[in-house]
Amino acid sequence: MKQLISFVKKEARHILRDRRTMLILFGMPVVMMLIFGFAITTDVKNVRTVVVTSQMDMQTRSAVERLSASEYFTITQTVTTPKEAERLIRNQKADMAVVFAPDFASKRSGIQFVVDGADPNMAQQWTNYATNVIVNSSGGAVNSKLLYNPQMRSAYNFVPAILGMLLMLVCAMMTSISIVREKERGTMEVLLVSPVRPLMIIIAKVVPYLVLAFAILTTILLMARYVLDVPLAGSIVGIYIVSTIYIILALSLGLLISNIASTQLMALLLSAMVLLMPIVMLSGMMFPVESMPEVLQWISAVVPPRYYIQAMRKLMIMGVDISNVVREMVILSSMAIFLLVVALAKFKKRLC
Amino acid sequence: MLKYLIQKEFLQIRRNAFLPRLIVIFPIMMMCVMPWVMNQEVKNIRVDVVDNDRSTLSRQLVQSIEASNYFIFNGQKPTYNAALKDIEKMDADVVMVIPQDFSRDLTLKRHPQVLVAANAVNGTKGSMGASYLSQIVTMKVNPSVAAMQSKMSTLFLYNKHLNYKVFMIPALFAMVMMLMCGFLPTLNIVGEKEAGTIEQINVTPVPKWAFILAKLIPYWLIAMFVIVVCLLLSWLLYGITCQGPLWLVFALAMLLALFWSSFGLIISNYSDTMQQAIFVMWFFVVCMLLLSGLFTPTRSMPHLAYLTTYVNPMHYFVDGIRTVFVRGGGFHSVAHQLLALLAIASLMEIWAVGSYRKNNL
Amino acid sequence: MIAIENICKTFGKVQALTDVSFSVDKGELFGLIGPDGAGKTTLFRILCTLLLPDAGTASVDGFDVVRQMKEIRRRVGYMPGRFSLYQDLTVEENLKFFATLFGTTVDEGYDSIKAIYGQIERFHNRKAGALSGGMKQKLALSCALVHHPSVLFLDESTTGVDPVSRKEFWDMLSMLKERGITIIASTPYLDEVRRCERVAFLNEGRVQGIDTPEVILERFGDIFNPPAIERKTASDGMNDENVIEVEHLVKAFGNFRAVNDISFTVKRGEVFGFLGANGAGKTTAMHILTGLNQPTSGKGKVAGYDVCTEYEDIKKHIGYMSQKFSLYEDLTVAENIRLFGGIYGMPAKEIARKTELLLQQLEFADHRNDLVGSLPLGWKQKLAFSVAIFHEPRIVFLDEPTGGVDPATRRQFWQLIYDAAHRGITVFVTTHYMDEAEYCDRISIMVDGRISAMGTPEELKRRFNQPDMDHVFTYLAREAKRGDD
Repeated sequence: MKQLISFVKKEARHILRDRRTMLILFGMPVVMMLIFGFAITTDVKNVRTVVVTSQMDMQTRSAVERLSASEYFTITQTVTTPKEAERLIRNQKADMAVVFAPDFASKRSGIQFVVDGADPNMAQQWTNYATNVIVNSSGGAVNSKLLYNPQMRSAYNFVPAILGMLLMLVCAMMTSISIVREKERGTMEVLLVSPVRPLMIIIAKVVPYLVLAFAILTTILLMARYVLDVPLAGSIVGIYIVSTIYIILALSLGLLISNIASTQLMALLLSAMVLLMPIVMLSGMMFPVESMPEVLQWISAVVPPRYYIQAMRKLMIMGVDISNVVREMVILSSMAIFLLVVALAKFKKRLC
Repeated sequence: MLKYLIQKEFLQIRRNAFLPRLIVIFPIMMMCVMPWVMNQEVKNIRVDVVDNDRSTLSRQLVQSIEASNYFIFNGQKPTYNAALKDIEKMDADVVMVIPQDFSRDLTLKRHPQVLVAANAVNGTKGSMGASYLSQIVTMKVNPSVAAMQSKMSTLFLYNKHLNYKVFMIPALFAMVMMLMCGFLPTLNIVGEKEAGTIEQINVTPVPKWAFILAKLIPYWLIAMFVIVVCLLLSWLLYGITCQGPLWLVFALAMLLALFWSSFGLIISNYSDTMQQAIFVMWFFVVCMLLLSGLFTPTRSMPHLAYLTTYVNPMHYFVDGIRTVFVRGGGFHSVAHQLLALLAIASLMEIWAVGSYRKNNL
Repeated sequence: MIAIENICKTFGKVQALTDVSFSVDKGELFGLIGPDGAGKTTLFRILCTLLLPDAGTASVDGFDVVRQMKEIRRRVGYMPGRFSLYQDLTVEENLKFFATLFGTTVDEGYDSIKAIYGQIERFHNRKAGALSGGMKQKLALSCALVHHPSVLFLDESTTGVDPVSRKEFWDMLSMLKERGITIIASTPYLDEVRRCERVAFLNEGRVQGIDTPEVILERFGDIFNPPAIERKTASDGMNDENVIEVEHLVKAFGNFRAVNDISFTVKRGEVFGFLGANGAGKTTAMHILTGLNQPTSGKGKVAGYDVCTEYEDIKKHIGYMSQKFSLYEDLTVAENIRLFGGIYGMPAKEIARKTELLLQQLEFADHRNDLVGSLPLGWKQKLAFSVAIFHEPRIVFLDEPTGGVDPATRRQFWQLIYDAAHRGITVFVTTHYMDEAEYCDRISIMVDGRISAMGTPEELKRRFNQPDMDHVFTYLAREAKRGDD
């Protein structure tokens, strides 16, 4: 036990004395949270709109006014031909054009939206919004309700994803690097020659990162709640339980990587390529899994953060009962156990 | 002198067991897989229906949901709460509740309302799902609005079928260039530092600019190669070709490559170990990427964040390449992006040369 | 105590150890010598249970290295070649950590390490990474001894350490031996070999002979005790022209004066030995002379150019070879020569012609297309030196050029140095090998940032009344006060 404590202390000192890495470890989550929380939004806002009309009659004017009154659209110019509007869009001076037919007033008809389709989602949303603003169909047949996130804030979607990414990064990348560093510097040889049990070496390596992971988890949760105004709707206990499983899984992955890699650089590249890319791309963090081709959906089924992010979205944002994430918990636990067993079995007590 | 240095860089790249493969395979992999992954298209929305009406009209509604390619009909649920359970398990995305006597009330002009409740944790998906569903319902039950809407037509310029790949492929160019030209030069100089060979170079009369240039030129050529591969693949695999003049694509790419490789060299000049260099680089890469408008429109950002796009070369590149590649813009359309990129890249280049220290270590 | 029988070990195609057998008695100080790549480290690792032998058996303190790993690991102390300390932990933290690692405490083990640890105890709050070579080594030894091991394995623990520190280190080993600790040490230094009771000479994975040091050094005399090199009389090369002139040179880092007011001159064609203990300021001075750094105050001229202002011009006229051996390992022999020839602006034809000549001289013609990384260390060093003088510089600076190779290889290296000097190239060299110091025309010995003695080896020996350079150096360096402050 005493050995373990002094081991952990030593490991903690390594982490604390490496200022630059510490800065990255805590700076990264903060910056990411701020970027995702504030800067990354898909809100429809400030859409630069060109009005195309040959005559400004009452009907046209009222339609245009309704558009410019809405917070979504900014009327930048009025031109007479669709061709001019198209040129403006091509040169990125405008995003969409509303073309009123010459007989618009008399028949109350004939509007064409000419939209920059380069970003398909946004193009569609702009059209939908513009249609609604002009038609102004109050008292329609549908009562839409957006559950959990009525203001459609992107942060709600991203905070769980950032958690999934950063925890994986910190745990897997940092543990693997710290173990490989000892291999590289030759200190691992001395540790192995000592009577300490290899299991102890592993545990001592892992404990400080476990603590660090919880510190980061708590930082992110606090920031989410108090800076980004993202609700922590579900039970905090549940969040921590699921996170613990996930952190253990990530640490096991780190151990596994450290078995394979022989240099710090290799560990770094392995973690970046094997972990980071799939996490960002295939976990449903930014791109919804269900929009992918089937083959990629299968691949994403073995990407652990996918389940973690889903579970956290349920627990944090939707505030569901923990019984609703049992499936994710079971999957994550079995993955964690599998990885842990493999990592421990592969840990080398000798050099070769 | 420069000739020998450049030759050395190429030899080193070629001798490396890993780099040549990476340079060839990485862009191909990215181009083959990523357009399928980087897809924020909203489809396969799972709908639960609570049909309290059970009339012909309500059945027609369900049928049109099934027919739509946006939706997957997930099943009938007896009550709203039961459907909500599905949402909580994330087994369904949207619930549609058709009220009792909906059909009758409609004929009596009592303005009954269908409730559409969407899981909006993912805001885009939730709101788009809800609005598609509203459209379907409106078409069926409110002929006057439907008639009005039918007179409104939409023309999607440059991307008629709203193919998400058209949007993402130019973005992929940016990502591939960033990863290749950003990380490789960074590792290169730090690698020489760690191996000690840089000391040997420092005691030779090689001018700073020659050494830096010799490091940059190979990555420039690699960038060139990568962009050709990307353009070819996007044509062969997805049939997506450049709408504007090709030379502009190359010009933009060259400038971006110059920026990233200079930037990578600056970071490696200030770092002692590869690990440090990679961490710092990664940090900048993530920030610049996210704030570039690659995934989300920059115009939706809050003012302060929007200001950063003025100094973000990725933003100019993404903007420029989409204008040329997708919208078919010419030189005039992207002149200011080219200029801004040129300015930032040359600044970085000067900094890279300046921050490389041959003396006073 | 230690019994090794028919141990074999291969790595891929390389036969690292073939049929190695010997035994070591309790309390013996046993030396393991042999050139780079002879299999010494592999043998150490097998004895420490870090590697499994392919065939044969070995036992340490009566325990089998294959089956009784735990027992052995409790009883041995091991110091691998590279210092196995945590650079970012302080001296005390390192020691405490290793003590608990072996299930003991610093207090309990203090007696056994007092003699060694006492010398560095005053730095207990300094980070291990900031210690000098000699002190790191003492700390590493303290860490290896804190748990009273019965066997101590030292794998080239003194490479790159100055003679004074090495001497102290071996005094300690003798002390440990008195206490009954069995020690197996490998070393490239002949004076250290002589202090062992018995040595085994290992070459290409085989034991070539085991006997007392005298017998072994005698029997393999052509490797360990090569005939002295004949210095062609410093004829036309040398004259009175000064190629290096340094006056009152100072380099300060904050309050610390790494180089404290040194003045000297070096003549054209001279072989100038620049000696000093670890941390005496040699490397800093060398960096100033090669234009890698600029002095805080003082004047200096190298090849006629000012070190403060014309440092880029200096670089055109010098060659440099650092202790880290700095050719590109992923380029071939010929490519490296071409690159550096090109960097110095030599015409392509000239490069091609001289490359052929050089490869012939070094007898490397068959290896011209081999990657430098695949060559043995001794060859790399010869090649690095040849590349450093390829462009016919006026002066060549060599910073500990011959670390870690056997005497025969070092002799060949010095032959190259003499050839260069004969052609009129001034050689400025630092070394920790005192036999090499004897080869120099003139020597300066730096202590605490100052030059405390300068002259020909003969003069110095006479002046300080010592039998050889080793003693001269020890005599002077012992006066060092600042040590590592």
